[in-house]
Amino acid sequence: MKQSTISLSWKGVAAFSVAALAVTACGPDTNGGDAAEEAEDTDWADVEPADSIVFATNHPGGSEDIEADFIDEFTEETGIEVEVITSGANYEETSQWFQTGGGSNADVVVLSDATWFPNYLNDALIPVDDVLEAADIDVSGYVEALYEDYLYEGNHYGVPYARSTPLFYYNVEHYDEAGIDGPPETWEEVAEISQTIVDEDVAQFGYAFPPSDEYPAWGMANLVWGYGGAWSDEWDFSTVSSDETVEALEFAQSGVEDGWANVAATSQTDDFSSGVASQTIQSTGSLGGIMDTADFEVGTAFLPDGPVAEGETPTGGAGLMLASASSPEEQLASAMFVGHMTSAETQARFSEETGYVPSHQDSDMSQVYEETPQFETAVDQLERARVQDFARVFLPGADLELATTLQSLLTSGDDVREEMERVESEFESLYETDLADEIEG
Amino acid sequence: MTTTESRPAHVVQDRPEASAPPDDAQLAAARKKAHRRKNSKNWSLFLLFAGPNILLILAFIYYPLAMNMYFSSLDWRLGAPRADPVGLANYERFFTSPSGLEVWRVTGIFTAGAVLGSMILGLLIALVLNKKIPGRTFARTAVFSPYVLSGVGVALVWMFIFDPQRGALMFILDRFGIEAPQWFLDPDANLLMVIIVYVWKNLGYCAVVFLAGLQSIPKDLLESATIDRAGPVRRFFSIVLPLLTPTVFFLLVTNIIFSMTNAFDILRVMTPTGNGTNTIIFEIYLQSFGQFNRAGYSAAIAVVLFFTLFIITAVQLRFVERKVHYQ
Repeated sequence: MKQSTISLSWKGVAAFSVAALAVTACGPDTNGGDAAEEAEDTDWADVEPADSIVFATNHPGGSEDIEADFIDEFTEETGIEVEVITSGANYEETSQWFQTGGGSNADVVVLSDATWFPNYLNDALIPVDDVLEAADIDVSGYVEALYEDYLYEGNHYGVPYARSTPLFYYNVEHYDEAGIDGPPETWEEVAEISQTIVDEDVAQFGYAFPPSDEYPAWGMANLVWGYGGAWSDEWDFSTVSSDETVEALEFAQSGVEDGWANVAATSQTDDFSSGVASQTIQSTGSLGGIMDTADFEVGTAFLPDGPVAEGETPTGGAGLMLASASSPEEQLASAMFVGHMTSAETQARFSEETGYVPSHQDSDMSQVYEETPQFETAVDQLERARVQDFARVFLPGADLELATTLQSLLTSGDDVREEMERVESEFESLYETDLADEIEG
Repeated sequence: MTTTESRPAHVVQDRPEASAPPDDAQLAAARKKAHRRKNSKNWSLFLLFAGPNILLILAFIYYPLAMNMYFSSLDWRLGAPRADPVGLANYERFFTSPSGLEVWRVTGIFTAGAVLGSMILGLLIALVLNKKIPGRTFARTAVFSPYVLSGVGVALVWMFIFDPQRGALMFILDRFGIEAPQWFLDPDANLLMVIIVYVWKNLGYCAVVFLAGLQSIPKDLLESATIDRAGPVRRFFSIVLPLLTPTVFFLLVTNIIFSMTNAFDILRVMTPTGNGTNTIIFEIYLQSFGQFNRAGYSAAIAVVLFFTLFIITAVQLRFVERKVHYQ
């Protein structure tokens, strides 16, 4: 019996060891290897483009059909076949899919301003500068701020594709009713106009702030920048609790307390389109939807100026990235494809179809302006585009922290400075926990 | 090679007569052989019928569970090719960080509200549906139907109802001069909101199970009590409730498990950022997929949830079941 017990124990240990080996063999490398160091520079002069590539896209802005047209044109022009994979319903799903191995065969992938950085940290993307040059793509035509969004440590990791910025929307009929001449140019004027609208009983609120799930840190960046504040200065997070940032947020908080503004419960777009609020800031990509649902004339304007800075406009949307797992031949073919998808002509048609702003400066948008003059504001505003703060787009979880804090501040009357100091401390903790080792090497 | 033909003749002659009775050792060997053959047959049958299921369970439940436990010991960003082993640090972090404690608080309130709400309302509805009232069949179907609806669909419909600017609830409350809470904006109101929706969706399940329990109570006991002049309240607390304890126990176990694991769809749709509704199942999603990309930490929370449910169920089976009256 004793022998049998010992034998069973050894069998148990052996089975457990085999199981443990099977489990550990399937996980990530825990031996401290560094793939970045192993990567070799490619001599693009010796590389011929592949015959076929895989394009992973969530078809931003309902672009499935127009993307198919672009792909047909590309194949006709170059002979390179493009297989399309629908990688999710939105940017977040696409990134999750790409990160978790579903997209292991993708050569080109659509990733947003807020989701490409984790993929960069995972060594899943290649710098595009050299390969774009090898594919004869002229990058000087891109809107500078949109291209610079993908600049990190001296290299670009993407090309602007489905790009958007926040835009100021106002209800023209409410303005007429309240005797207001035109849209505001500064945040002070936003407050004045909003107060007039409420006093004249034209609408319940003059202005709608976004709720936590509508990316308030993106929409309110213009307000904070206008006061001279910021969510961060690269990896320095002290700006999030600076006097300037606090002053900007106290201004927003007073708007809700004084009754001229509200925080939309579900979406500021709903409050604006239904006439609950007369003005709001929302993505340029929402212009089509707002004009479809609103039963009044919609006006658009540049984002307002602050006391310190002109109305700077945060960039947003998605770009096209190249997968590091692809062969150099596939990467070169992918670069040619990316160049085609972001050319001046293609971007004009893409913009017309989806409502995203063209990422190429030479895109001819005259036909769109004829049909939707409001869109001209969105494109002209690109001159004031500013690359987003690191904290919002690069620091994991920081955008969520900002979103819940901003909503809480605007609806509760909590002390702004105290809360933003807590946010700064939280940012530092997130950085130390999740990034510091990799960023600082 | 050891056949009788190949052996020397004297060896064959030395063998006992075939008709001689076998000794004990031979009998034992024969029994052992028969037993082994039977065992082998049983095992073959068992493997034939249960084998495919065991393989599927191993592949899709225990293997992922083992993988998840392994991942929980890593500092690993989602999708990263490399990770650092950190032992139990992820667990320590979850149990000591303020956000981890907040997750426990929210989970406790949500589970208590959802389980008690579903069971109390489900029992009341079952008591009504157990009476002979007109339209009883339709009412039973109507009460049960939300349970089989998609959580996403239910959440979207309730979002329209709760909308503080345009929602049906706002109009009703307004009629009575009551100011609607800041649904979607206030964390406490959000938690109440998702508990209400979860209870609405789940109470049909409780009602149907309670109804089955009520119908199994012997009528003669209730009639005897009525003859003895016991009122409805006395009959309920002295006869109905004690005999319903197996049903209550079953619902308690299943509802706690369901509320901690199955509410994700409602939480995700109604409160996408988890503002005030960050239960443990939502935290698992949020940490791994909702911006943080902490696959290792998220795996540790999933293991905590697994053992939490395991312990709760074990405790219920050990202590609560003692109070159950099966007869």
